[in-house]
Amino acid sequence: MKEFLLDLAKLIVDKGKQLGYDDVVAKVVGTDEAMVKVANSQLTVAQIWRTVTLELYLAKDRKVVVVEAPIKERGDVDEILSNLGAYVKAVKESEIYAPLPEPSGKPLDGLVDPKVIDVMYRSSEVAAEVVSAAHNEGAEKVAGTLTLSIDRKALANSAGAEFYEEGTAVEAYLRAFYKDNSGHWAYGSRVLDMNALRDVGRKATLYAKLASNAVDIAPGRYDVVLSPLVVGNLMDVVAWTASAFYVLSGFSMFMKVKPGDEVASEEFTLVDDPLAKELAGSTGFDDEGVATRTKAIIREGRFESLLHNSKTAKVMNTKSTGNAGIIAPQPWNTVIKPGNYSEEELIREVKNGLFILNNWYTRLQNYVEGIFSTVTRDAVYKIENGEIVGVIKRVRIADTFLNLMKNIVGLSKSTYDIKWWEVPTPSKTPFILARDVNITKPTV
Amino acid sequence: MYEDVLYYAVDYALSQGATYAEARYHKNYGSEIIVRNGSVVSAGMLKREGIGIRVILEGAMAFSSTTDLSREGVRKAVDKAVSLARSSRPLIKRPHTLSDERVGKAKYEVVVKEKFEDIALEDKIKLMVALWSELPRVLRETKMVSLFEEYREGIEEKTLITSDGACVVSKVPRVFYGANIVLAHSQKGTLQRLIEFGGSGGYEIFRSWNIEDRLKEEVKNIEPVLAKGTEPPKEPVDVIIGSEVVGLIVHESAGHPMEADRIWGREAAQAGESYVKPEMIGKERIGNELATVIDDPTVPGSYGFYLYDDEGVPARPRYIYYRGLINEPLHNRWSAAVFGVKSNAAARAMDYTSEPLVRMANTYLEPGDRSFEELIEDIKLGIYVKSYMEWNIDDIRWGQRYVGLESYVIRKGEIAEPILYPVLEFTTKSFYSSIVAKGKELRFYPGTCGKGEPAQGIPVWFGGPDVRLSRMRVGVAPR
Repeated sequence: MKEFLLDLAKLIVDKGKQLGYDDVVAKVVGTDEAMVKVANSQLTVAQIWRTVTLELYLAKDRKVVVVEAPIKERGDVDEILSNLGAYVKAVKESEIYAPLPEPSGKPLDGLVDPKVIDVMYRSSEVAAEVVSAAHNEGAEKVAGTLTLSIDRKALANSAGAEFYEEGTAVEAYLRAFYKDNSGHWAYGSRVLDMNALRDVGRKATLYAKLASNAVDIAPGRYDVVLSPLVVGNLMDVVAWTASAFYVLSGFSMFMKVKPGDEVASEEFTLVDDPLAKELAGSTGFDDEGVATRTKAIIREGRFESLLHNSKTAKVMNTKSTGNAGIIAPQPWNTVIKPGNYSEEELIREVKNGLFILNNWYTRLQNYVEGIFSTVTRDAVYKIENGEIVGVIKRVRIADTFLNLMKNIVGLSKSTYDIKWWEVPTPSKTPFILARDVNITKPTV
Repeated sequence: MYEDVLYYAVDYALSQGATYAEARYHKNYGSEIIVRNGSVVSAGMLKREGIGIRVILEGAMAFSSTTDLSREGVRKAVDKAVSLARSSRPLIKRPHTLSDERVGKAKYEVVVKEKFEDIALEDKIKLMVALWSELPRVLRETKMVSLFEEYREGIEEKTLITSDGACVVSKVPRVFYGANIVLAHSQKGTLQRLIEFGGSGGYEIFRSWNIEDRLKEEVKNIEPVLAKGTEPPKEPVDVIIGSEVVGLIVHESAGHPMEADRIWGREAAQAGESYVKPEMIGKERIGNELATVIDDPTVPGSYGFYLYDDEGVPARPRYIYYRGLINEPLHNRWSAAVFGVKSNAAARAMDYTSEPLVRMANTYLEPGDRSFEELIEDIKLGIYVKSYMEWNIDDIRWGQRYVGLESYVIRKGEIAEPILYPVLEFTTKSFYSSIVAKGKELRFYPGTCGKGEPAQGIPVWFGGPDVRLSRMRVGVAPR
């Protein structure tokens, strides 16, 4: 497979150069993926895919054309390239352009867990163990998904890059129902760790059972303990809006800040870490063939760096950070530096507040100002004087990202590898405690 | 297209023990242009083409797909689906079945007046590039600091063959334009507006939108909101919700909770469940007599247009809520079998890698009989929320929040000063019970609705008239 994919990528680059393009990037990714989906504790569908996809970047006289298409064989290449002349002729010179940089990537090894490939066609059996773990803990019914995959990525470009990397991925999440409540947990890694997978079932159930008596709260400002599911979701937004392309496009709260500006409490450090091999976004080279590296977006509360490719870096007079996608820079893995608290201590720090396990539907009123709201799902627990005293249903965090991040006062020592429907970028995050966060709910 | 191979796939699956098999050739292809601040970032082509195979075998539903369109390619894809179904025994409780339907043998195509390829790419780009210099001409107190534009044109071609007789060939072209506008004021900060247009048809659809005029009107209207917008009234007031917001509300709080697979719990870990329980259907009320919500895939020119769904069932309008009654959920053939009813043709798949799921098409609140002036003429103090940016709704589709963008105070029956970020936060029942009058003009807006795992984004329209609600308290977003 390696030779096949790399050969295709190199062939496209050669043909592109022959056609007179200044820059050619061909990324060919072959993916095998199996997914088992469960609801009401039974299979709803089992799915399996094999795809080979080409992402192509071409530039001539600073005019940029991109293509995404399936590719099966060498014979497809001429057809893909044949229709692009009209595009190059029509488009204008791009302001977000730089010649391809010297290749410096260093493909990572050790990203494949053979167990993932071994069980791919028997993924229902693995899923059944996760379901059993939840039922053994007392769950009345569960819903969730187990996905096993291997990506084989070949990259060639006209600056001389020829890289290949392959990595497996495991993504599991489960929602466990218990009486009128539900809990949720997730796991995302390159490794098939059966204990971690069973923990998804166990923890989802345990979080559904922390309290059963319903209590109500009035809208207002509360101290909140946010689980890694919530932190992962919200910091996914922060990390993506740190992409310089989104800053240039008016979709970022980092439009108005410069390095060194205070954007969070000094307890808080958010890192993009492509070298965290256990997380499924890990890679040794970006889509321009540049070596990836670990960098802080926010370090100890201060904004440190956007995520750049060579093109956005040129526009903003800086250097690539090794985050190139075909057009827009992207985060690889979001990692939040842990703190000094145990998870129990974070709860004990709260006099009047909430423990929020899970959320979804994060939307922004204004990306530049970072005004957002997000809806809780599954259990929300009321905390009084350091103790969980009851369960609350479905409230909203409605605040600004700056307020939220500046009000962080504690993070747990423990971190969790999370990826799921609402946390698309692989993440490693602790629990966090933030003070005075605005909570709303329908009043009519 | 590829009918022989598709019939081969279905027959081969049956020979391997499947009790149901379907094979769908599915091709999405088109172009995209991205322009930022008057400069083309990139132009490009996107193509997805392959065959999706779905089987029911030994009670298990399994799906696989392939880009290899040869007999050998589809045979391997069928083998994988069959193998996966067989290995899924430990998780089978209720064996999968599909409802019996009179499936179609049909071919249809959206006829275009102007083919995309007949319009020079240069002309499409020229219009987009010009907006960066044209729009600021109508601004007086603010600057446009960012304009991000996206144009997409594409064609979706499908051929569906099922083991129970469906053979449906379709071709639907679609066009989309979206712009993200950021205005900045030296003292008041920024205001952001995302505006989108979409429909099925050729380039004539794009022309009909008069993008330059519409965007000029838009920035002209939102500038005072940033420059002069004040806080909304604190006391309860009459509320007029513009058709754009109404469309979003009915999509979120009528369409989604009435997807039968959600009601059963199939999406419980992803998009969630529904406040609607099976025993409520046809019996319980969610609103008053003015609350009629329809989902109709057959609206000509619509972004969610189709005549047969991806299980071969002929499309028709569905009356989701009828005069306040929780009336007719959206069904595919799987959910119809679970509920013991017939499918109403809601099965849609995004592309060849996607299983058909219960989806909306074009969802709207039935219009009323009032002009806009008649809606507001007797309001002493109220607000008018014309457009939005932020919104969300909980996972059972009950509690929801919409934050107004272009919004005004209504005073003595007239639109008065602009207000900044009014928040409407209500439950589904309170919204549909609070409608006191509806405008007569029905308008639609495009969206890409997400659902499923892997997530499938499919084109939809949502719409309605302007609506007047009874008095309610309005909040304000934090800044």
